[in-house]
Formats: sequence, C-alpha cells, structure tokens
Amino acid sequence: MRLLRLAWRNVFRQKRRTLTTLGAVVIGLAGLVVFQGYLGQLMKGFRESTILSGIGHLQVSSDAKYFTDGEFTPYAYGLADEAALTAKLAADPRVTAVFPSTGFTAIGGLGEKATTLLVKAYPSARMRFGAVTAGDGAFNLGALTSGSWDPSGGPDRLVLGETAARILKAKVGDTVTLMAVLPGGGLNGRDFTVAAVYRSAGRDKIFAFTDYATARDFSGLKAAPVLHVIARSLGDTDALASSIGAGHAVKTWPQLATYFVQVNSMFSGFLGVIRVILLLITLFILANTMNRIVFERMREWGTLRALGTKASGILVLVVLEGAIQGFVGAILGIAAGFAVSLVLNLAGGLPFPSAGTVLQIKVVPDDQAVWWNLVPVVLTAALAAFLPALRAMRLSPSEALRCP
Amino acid sequence: MPLIRVRDGRKHYTLDKALTTALDGVSLDIDAGERVALMGPSGSGKSTLLNLMGCLDRLDGGSLEIDGQDTKALRDVALSRFRNRTMGFIFQSFNLIPVLSVHENIEYPLLLQEVSASERRDRVEALLEQVGLAGFGRRSPENLSGGQRQRVAIARALVTRPRIVFADEPTAALDQKTGRAVMELMVQMNEKAGATLVFSTHDATVAGYARRVVKLLDGKLAEDGGAA
Repeated sequence: MRLLRLAWRNVFRQKRRTLTTLGAVVIGLAGLVVFQGYLGQLMKGFRESTILSGIGHLQVSSDAKYFTDGEFTPYAYGLADEAALTAKLAADPRVTAVFPSTGFTAIGGLGEKATTLLVKAYPSARMRFGAVTAGDGAFNLGALTSGSWDPSGGPDRLVLGETAARILKAKVGDTVTLMAVLPGGGLNGRDFTVAAVYRSAGRDKIFAFTDYATARDFSGLKAAPVLHVIARSLGDTDALASSIGAGHAVKTWPQLATYFVQVNSMFSGFLGVIRVILLLITLFILANTMNRIVFERMREWGTLRALGTKASGILVLVVLEGAIQGFVGAILGIAAGFAVSLVLNLAGGLPFPSAGTVLQIKVVPDDQAVWWNLVPVVLTAALAAFLPALRAMRLSPSEALRCP
Repeated sequence: MPLIRVRDGRKHYTLDKALTTALDGVSLDIDAGERVALMGPSGSGKSTLLNLMGCLDRLDGGSLEIDGQDTKALRDVALSRFRNRTMGFIFQSFNLIPVLSVHENIEYPLLLQEVSASERRDRVEALLEQVGLAGFGRRSPENLSGGQRQRVAIARALVTRPRIVFADEPTAALDQKTGRAVMELMVQMNEKAGATLVFSTHDATVAGYARRVVKLLDGKLAEDGGAA
C-alpha cells in the first residue's frame, strides 16, 4: 500500500512527461478501440447475414457425409425421424424455426439456351429476398431485381439468378424447363415459371431457388435430408447442438460458414497485428520514460534503501509506477475510444462499401475492447519498467546516493 | 564492547578502469553515545567510511561489527531491516522524498516497521515539535527552506529511535547560521536521545561540535583524538 501510494504520486510528479507518454498510449488505444468496435459490428452483421443466408445456426442430417457430398444429391440421407425431430426442436424455447431443405442439380433450358443450375429449395414461407432477422425464422436468399416471391404462391415457381437469367435470356413470367436425374437413374423434366430474378455476387450464375414441396415432388425425395435450425440467440447454438440425440449428424454455423470463419480470422489477425504494434510502441515509449526516471531518481532510490526499504521494494516501486502509467493510459485511451465511437455513431457511423452501395456501420466497442486492451497494456507497461527497475534495484545504496 | 567496530576496513572502487583505494586498512571503535566527527579533505575516505559503517555499502576487506552483529553475515533483506531499526541518516542534500509531505517523510521509516497509525502520528508530531516545525506536517518539502528541510531530515533520522545517526556533511548545503542551528539540534539530539552521532565534515567549526574527531587522509586513519 505504502509503495503503491508512492508509485501513484510519482506518476504525476512530472506532469508534462507523463502527459506526453500517456498521450501516445491514449491516441493509439482510442484508435484501436474504434477500429475494434467498427470491425466487430461489421463482422457481427456479416455473421448474422451468413447464418441467415441459407445456413441456420445449426443443421441436422442423418449422416455426416451429407455435409460433404449430399447437398445436391440428397437421396441417401433422408431423416427417418424427420417429423419427430422437427416437433422436438420446434418445442424448444431456444428455437425460432426448424425447417427442411433439399437441392438438386438440373439443366435449365429456355428456347435454344441452356445452363446448369444448382436448385436449392426451402419451405416457401421461409424464403425471403430481403433483410431478415433471426426472429423472422426465414432465410434471406438475395436481393430481387425483378418479380417477387409470394410465400403463398403456387408450385413450380423458380427464382433465377441474374446471370443465369441473362444466359437463358429469361425474364419474369417465362417458362424454364428443368431436367434432373432421379434417384433410380431416370430423367425427369418439368416446366417452371420464373417468379423472380435475384442478384447475389458469385451465386447468381449457378444457384436457383424453388420451394421445398415442389423440389420434393420433382425429385422424388422421400424424406428431408437436412433440417435447419434458427436459434433465438447465437449463444444457444452449442447447447442446442448437444440437445440433439445420438444417431444424427449435427453441424453448427461456424463449421458450415467456412468463408465467414476465414474472413473473421483474417480480420482478427489484422486486429492482433495492430494490437501488437501498439503494445510494442507502448513498450518502447514507457521503457524509455522509465529508464529516464530511474536514472534521474537514483539518489532517491538510495535514500529509500538507506531508510530501510528492501532492494525488492525498489523493484516493486518502479514496476508499479510503470504499470500505473499503463493503467491510466489504457483507461483514458479506452474511454476516449468509446467517446469517439459515440460521436461517430451520432454522425451516422462509418462508411463501408458493399455490393455497389455504401453501408453506414455503427461503431460499437464491447467489453472485449476493455479487457483485451487494458490487461495487455498494463502488463506491457509493467514489463517496460522491469529492466530499469532491475537496474535501480541492483545498485548499492551508497552508489545510488552518490549519483547527481 | 564498542557499538561500532571496524577492523582493517578496506574498500576499492574502479574508476575509469583503474582500481582506486578509498579505504586502506582502517580500524576504529565507536562507543554508544559518542559524538564523532570524521574529518579530512575531499577523497580522504570519510564518506566511504560513513557509508560502510551505515551499511550502505560493503567492505572489500576487513570486518565491521555493529552492536555485536557482524554485518558481513547479513543479506540484503536483513541488512535493510537492520538499517531501519538501528540507524538514522542525515544527508548533505537532505534527500527528502518530494512527493511525500513533511509528515509522511518523517513517518516513512516507521511504516517499514509497521508501527501503528496512532503511534506514528504521536512520534512524528513530537519530533516536529522538537525540531521547531510544529504545524509544518502537511507541507511539501519543496516549500521549505534549506534549514527547515535539514530539520525534517533530522526528525526522520530520529523517528525510529535509532542507536546511531550518521550524517554526511550535514551543514554543507546550508549557510553558516542555519548550519550552526542544525548542529546544535544534532548535539541536543545526541545528548537527550542518547543516539550515537557520527558525522563527516571538512569544516573545522562544524567538527567542533564533536567530542571526538577522527581524521582521515588518503583512505587511512591519520589521527583519532579529542575535539578539533
């Protein structure tokens, strides 16, 4: 307590130097907190949209091989207990929606034009082409550029991707013939009406959508190969996955959304690199400050030693002074980061260009911005003070007292 | 048995890669309650001897016993504790801690002894009274004159009721009048509190306050006698 009080007062002894040292830490940390808050929101939005773009929080199939081989050849993976499992999951208060999906490959033809399509099918009411939330219990499959999707519309409707529609020269209301291979090897063909055309970068050349009932009837599917579960809260995912009994293969969204996981890892890596750079700058600045402090106060260390302070007490005193500087700098930096975030949000957020438009992303630093910055900065500051502290500790009192 | 016993004390320093002898076979006994001045020109070894007797440094050769305790056998923690409980120090430049108030400066050695708060307060206030600084406790040392600072340093040296007080050139940074007042206070402290007083000086007038003057020259004991 005695040393802590002394260290605290020493920090504010040379206000100008302390302000300069803290200024660098505060500016760096404030920037990091804002960047972290921006990136966090960006990735949160990306995560939500990824989960609700056709994945769900978890998927249940009869066999793990479905997830590698079965999405568009689903016949071998039918869930024998589809109805019971659906009822069980739907009754769980943590679940917003449970529904099946299937898919098949087909050749789509219109007039003289033809293209290969991967047709994905969900229950009609679960298909949306616009923003959704987990509470809607539906997937957002893209943005419609023409036509519309009426959940209560009839069978044999097709939503084509913009690129596929251009290849087929198809427009809303046209009839596209789909030819697909059935489980027995036979070929089936059916006319589908183009209900709408959607746009989704990288997907709209190959992916088309129809409703689940039509797909099941068209492909002769006996049972759903997979169930999608949309949870009320992201945090319930693992618990829900564990609640599904043996005999099922379950994958959670991080296992399914590999692209999101890769992008998230990449940005987390960026953030980590920036944090390491900031910590190194903190280390360098504080080590330099502490070196000067130790050098300038040699006679004071000698006096404290003469009065009976142990050598280790001097070490603790100097390290504490460094750690306090780190603590004060981190607290001010984090607070400044939160304040800047507030100002940016009041101004509408930060811009993020996406798919030809500019989104305004709010900057929302969370509690991680506090702990992931406060603790490393305090530890780094203590480390920065450690070597100068060792020097102060190793001098004999008489040597220290002789210093000018 | 003497309170301080130095036998064949030797100390060397390396200065610019050259070995310099600061103390060359000094033997000296100081009894409890004595008032001893160490005199000699600059570089004669008086500060070195004072630092060695104050356990602020270690001998390279010879032995030092304080109150029967062989100081060579004490490691840092024990030596720090020994210093805190047995000795008080007064420095030429006062060496008060600027971030502590006058009261806190005097109180500091008692905190190391874990003396209760009420006893610390009583002892500090009594000493402030004795050194003529009653009511100055909350002031910062930076707002005191040189003489006042040295009186705070004297109070700090006495607060643990040490057996020995070492003072290195205690009046060198003071004008003559203030220096005289400080020395009178130290004499009073030696007579009333019974603490052995050992101080270094190159000033014959200051040395006149001692009952015994030990003269050093080139690291050797040149003379050990009565008052200058």
